[in-house]
Amino acid sequence: MKVRITTDLLTGVLFVALGAFAIIYGSRYALGTASRMGAGYFPLLISCGLLLIGAFLVARALLGGGEALGAIGWRPLILVLAGVLAFGLLIDRLGLLAAGVLLVLAARAADRGFGLFETALLAVGLSLAAAAIFIYGLGLPIKLLRL
Amino acid sequence: MEVLGNLGLGFSVALAQANLLYCFLGVLLGTIIGVLPGLGPVATISILLPFTFGLQPQTALIMLAGIYYGAQYGGSTTAILVNLPGESSSVVTAIDGHQMARRGKAGLALATAALSSFLAGTFATLVLAAAAPSLAEVALQFGPADYFSLMVFGLVAAVILAHGSVVNAIGMILVGMLLGTIGIDVNTSVPRFTFGIPQLGDGIDFAVIAMGIFGIGETVANLERSGAARSYVQAVKNLWPAPQELRAMLAPAWRGTLLGSALGILPGGGPVLASFSAYALEKKVAKKPERFGQGAIEGVAGPEAANNGAAQASFIPLLTLGLPSNAVMALMIGALMMHGLHPGPQLMRDKPELFWGLVASMWLGNLMLVVLNLPLVGFWAKLLTMPYRLLYPAILLICAIGVYSINNSALDVLVASIFGFVGYLLYRLHCEPAPLLLGFILGPLIEENLRRALVISHGNPSVFIERPISCTLLILTAVLVVFLAAPMIRSGRERVFRESGT
Repeated sequence: MKVRITTDLLTGVLFVALGAFAIIYGSRYALGTASRMGAGYFPLLISCGLLLIGAFLVARALLGGGEALGAIGWRPLILVLAGVLAFGLLIDRLGLLAAGVLLVLAARAADRGFGLFETALLAVGLSLAAAAIFIYGLGLPIKLLRL
Repeated sequence: MEVLGNLGLGFSVALAQANLLYCFLGVLLGTIIGVLPGLGPVATISILLPFTFGLQPQTALIMLAGIYYGAQYGGSTTAILVNLPGESSSVVTAIDGHQMARRGKAGLALATAALSSFLAGTFATLVLAAAAPSLAEVALQFGPADYFSLMVFGLVAAVILAHGSVVNAIGMILVGMLLGTIGIDVNTSVPRFTFGIPQLGDGIDFAVIAMGIFGIGETVANLERSGAARSYVQAVKNLWPAPQELRAMLAPAWRGTLLGSALGILPGGGPVLASFSAYALEKKVAKKPERFGQGAIEGVAGPEAANNGAAQASFIPLLTLGLPSNAVMALMIGALMMHGLHPGPQLMRDKPELFWGLVASMWLGNLMLVVLNLPLVGFWAKLLTMPYRLLYPAILLICAIGVYSINNSALDVLVASIFGFVGYLLYRLHCEPAPLLLGFILGPLIEENLRRALVISHGNPSVFIERPISCTLLILTAVLVVFLAAPMIRSGRERVFRESGT
């Protein structure tokens, strides 16, 4: 039997995986008793619930029906997330301006119709504006630029 | 007249220069972001959260409330002018509002929305001022078992009223609750699910999750869906309604106000439910129901009043019981907690100036909306033509800096990008992220109250049935579950939300 990848199936699988992971990883925490609950009691309850819900979704999806998962737009997904990741990794090392410019460049590259001049202008303009608002306006202790 | 005295205290706080300024800023920024197509109140509040971090708790909350009203009104503007409702509560406004705009009555539609919202806002503020003290009085009687049952009731109600699949919504609540357990367990001091990362000991900040899912994740989803309809914005003129038009909107606005204020108080209720119900009600009482969908003024006045009344009234369970009834209120509770405040009956007793200041600024916020929106509407219409390619990099940058600024932690930014991916995934899997946020906020409270209740009863679970308040709430929950299971109601509910196209 060929299994159709539907949104329900994938949701169910993810719920099962997360529930199972939390049960296994959470097994290191003491359960305690109902009157003196340990750290693991409540997470176990939730994880089991999640596992059951996930199993229900998987079973229902295997019985047929449901909407197929469409194509994934890898370009925006990867580039936007990469931009935010880069921002997080670089802000302490390079400061707001450099990290901001990189984020905007990556974000614009995620879209089709990428104009070099406009993008460069946008990246610098937005970073300067953000610095003005957050560092000077709101007085947040963020480094402006460090090279 | 205790209410008047309280409101007096509130206005003295709200009219303080800084608070007034931030209330105005909140309304302005909220409208600016809320007008942009595709950004509803939850996304708007998430994006603008960082602007409130540095403020006094009181001022921050006042500004957030301002942002909320602004975002909601901005959404209506977009719905009317370009038929792109930014959030589900203005979906119904788009039906007749946009038809009015196409017939050259854009100005009248916008004025109707603003004035009906103002009427509802004023009324609901009075309801809040009158009802809150006695409700808080009741809430002070609540023991841990009662709180536990109240929160379970709130979550079940939220599930029933969520869009899309109920099973998915339950799953999302559980995922949110599981995320809520991350960090050091307060009772046993055991770090849970921290994976050896010390910064996770305090748990994940809810703002990181909100900005990741609603700011970053939605941007990815929007980009993927590129080729979004470029729409033509109508010229706005003839803003002020004629006397007979004012008369035509008055009765529906009142009906919407009453309906919205009542529905907003219910856990799980809120603007969406209120605006849908108000539209249905107007259609039912209309002499010529066939005019609906063709630009009927009642179809704008009723739902707009209802969604604003409900938006306001949903602060009642939040501030008196500590129960967020929808995702926006979950954001509010999260923002309060970041300032070290725990909403609930004690808040009103211990910090009356905060509570009443907020109530007064709600009304001021509504007034500002009218003052701001009627003259500035041409500017909002311009903003609507701003291309998305210039906009989303700014949103991403604000989110990234905002997340970083919470704790000056680069790790938070990395966690937010993970939630950006999660947000995108949820969008593709048709899972509403709102229940996740509710679960995340309510999970730790549920655990805490469950533990306390069982410690007091020496592990005997019958405590939840023996206490009258708890028992009533659990019976109500059971009734809701039966409704949920009843297929007739379920198909009716799906039909309502399918009409909304969300």
